[in-house]
Amino acid sequence: MSESDDWQRLSPLALVFLIVSGLQRQVRENLFLFAGAGAGAAFTDWLGLRELALIALVFVLFSVLGAMLYHRRFRFRMEADAVRVRRGLVEHKELRVRFARVQNIQLGQPFYFRPFNLVRFSLQTPGASDKEVELPGIDRSLAETMRDRISAARGELEETEARPEPEEGADPEPLEQPAVFAPSSGRLFLHGLSSNQVWVIAGLFFYVGGNLLERFGERVEQVAERALENGQAIDLPVSAWALGAGALLVFLLILFVLSGLLALVRFWRFRLRERGDRVIALAGLFDRREQTLRRAKVTGLQLRQSAVGRVLGCWSLVLRQTRSSDHETPAGGNAFVVPGLRQDDLALAEALLPGAVFPGRFQRISPRYRRFAFSRLLLGLLLALVLAGLLFGFDHWSLLALSVGALVALPVLHLRFRQWGWALEEGVLWVRRGLLGQRIDGFDLEQVQQARVTSSPYLRRHDLVGLELVLPQGVIGLPFLPSRPAAELANRALATAEQARFHRV
Amino acid sequence: MDNGSANTPRRPGQAVFSNRQVPLAELPDYQAAKLDLVSLRFAPYAALTAGLLWLGLAAAVFIAPRLPFADVTLPPGLVLVPLVALIWFVAVAWIDGRRRGWALREHDLIYRSGLIWQRTAILPFARIQHVETASGPLERLFGLMRVKCFTAGGMGADLSVEGLDRASARKVRQHLLEQIRDEDGMDDAARGEDEEAGG
Repeated sequence: MSESDDWQRLSPLALVFLIVSGLQRQVRENLFLFAGAGAGAAFTDWLGLRELALIALVFVLFSVLGAMLYHRRFRFRMEADAVRVRRGLVEHKELRVRFARVQNIQLGQPFYFRPFNLVRFSLQTPGASDKEVELPGIDRSLAETMRDRISAARGELEETEARPEPEEGADPEPLEQPAVFAPSSGRLFLHGLSSNQVWVIAGLFFYVGGNLLERFGERVEQVAERALENGQAIDLPVSAWALGAGALLVFLLILFVLSGLLALVRFWRFRLRERGDRVIALAGLFDRREQTLRRAKVTGLQLRQSAVGRVLGCWSLVLRQTRSSDHETPAGGNAFVVPGLRQDDLALAEALLPGAVFPGRFQRISPRYRRFAFSRLLLGLLLALVLAGLLFGFDHWSLLALSVGALVALPVLHLRFRQWGWALEEGVLWVRRGLLGQRIDGFDLEQVQQARVTSSPYLRRHDLVGLELVLPQGVIGLPFLPSRPAAELANRALATAEQARFHRV
Repeated sequence: MDNGSANTPRRPGQAVFSNRQVPLAELPDYQAAKLDLVSLRFAPYAALTAGLLWLGLAAAVFIAPRLPFADVTLPPGLVLVPLVALIWFVAVAWIDGRRRGWALREHDLIYRSGLIWQRTAILPFARIQHVETASGPLERLFGLMRVKCFTAGGMGADLSVEGLDRASARKVRQHLLEQIRDEDGMDDAARGEDEEAGG
């Protein structure tokens, strides 16, 4: 019996991880109590700094106590074909996860684990929304043994192929094969600039900092009023408009640089490697993470290019799995993202999705999409204007608003229409959509779980339908397809799925 | 050119590997399947469930101004809005209930629903994780039963076949279970091993 076959406990240092992650969770779940929607203002008005510090202390104490109890109770054991975990504070649980069900193995190493050569070992299964098993603070060699045993049990890796022990002081990267993709730091920074996380950061900033901004504005108003009462002139070096525009520009610059830096920290020294049936990504500055994905469990991929990414020529790729998260934000930390791709690197999609051939051109949907969307939007605007007119009276501004709305909608709908496209190459369906940016989903028709054909009276009048293909990772829809090609595509998808060797995920 | 198979003696009963091209037009067309209509009792059931909601709203609009403690004045014609909606939705539900259809093919289940916005869903048996039948009190009153098919894609990917009479629903469930067992019995048995128990 090997070391990993006995019941094991977590390292004492795992407590640090449990406390930190517990605090993170507390902050995430209770943030709305202290920030945003005026609640923050109310709290800071009612409570002094001392009371707030006391609340924070209570939160910390609860997290520490919870982590200690959790750590004390936690046990895990490797069995011949499964990993077994005993855990739980109030309700004691025993969980057994078979290796065959594991679709993703992750090894993470926060910076405070590094001196002790400890790692965080996580397993994901298709049924669970989050990591089903997480073992924080176990020895790296034990984690690697477990990883290799799981891989061997799933038939991906021969036991004899298990990698040799790394030399003392060597870079603890898991594999010796050259990386199939290793973007430079510059590319990673560009990925941060073009990633949509910029807007997530902006949203978070306004959510948390809205209260502070409001107070700052009030303070400026007070200063200005006092100055006016005292008859003092307020001299600004530049006009108020220029000042506002400058402040906005600086804010955006800070936002983009921050996003770039965050991407650098998250994807620091990103290396993508292939080993047999597995794809392995290694990245992270403070928390070095190794994600191992079984190819057989990949249900598709998504290529993304934001509007900024189009200017910078920057793409990213997300490997999709059953019910997997595709977000890059901390909440979607399990997404398998390959950042910093150039146009020339898109062939990587073909390497990662076996049998895939990236299409040269996409077929468009029916141009009636544009006409339909525009006419319905115009009708909606007209109705809104009539309603507003009946309530508040008609004037020439209403007509101007309608014209401006229509003028803005026209190019937007045209861009949206132009982005919609699909292509079927070697049994892999590619669906493109977007507005200023674009997302291209690629998946083998074998993965289709269900096909749905929808139609409205307008679509039926023009012999069009909407096609929805349900996949393990979600629904991919194609609107306004001529009914014949749509039916052929649905028939093809069903025939492929019904003859597929791999059935239920 | 010899592809090698001529030199290898073939055992009796051994299948000859072939990989001929299948033209798209030769693939089984889901549109060619003849759908069976759902139970005749489904139309009144659907109309009743649609009508109850709007009847409740119409009653609320009618009664609210007449309550002794309520100081509410509603336009006199307002009660007509839920009444018109009631007639419309009851009619749509009735006609939809008479048009809904389903079919079992060799490898999949087809279900068509909707009157104005029509939807045809085709679910391959190979993708079904498990099957269950369900019926609410009203459905039981009308002798109806739903067959729910669960797949790996989550709630959005599940298919609920409504409007079957109990006997048909049970037959469909049994057929689907047999198909699943035939297709992947080993997988089902293995799946049951994952466990989570209180300790």
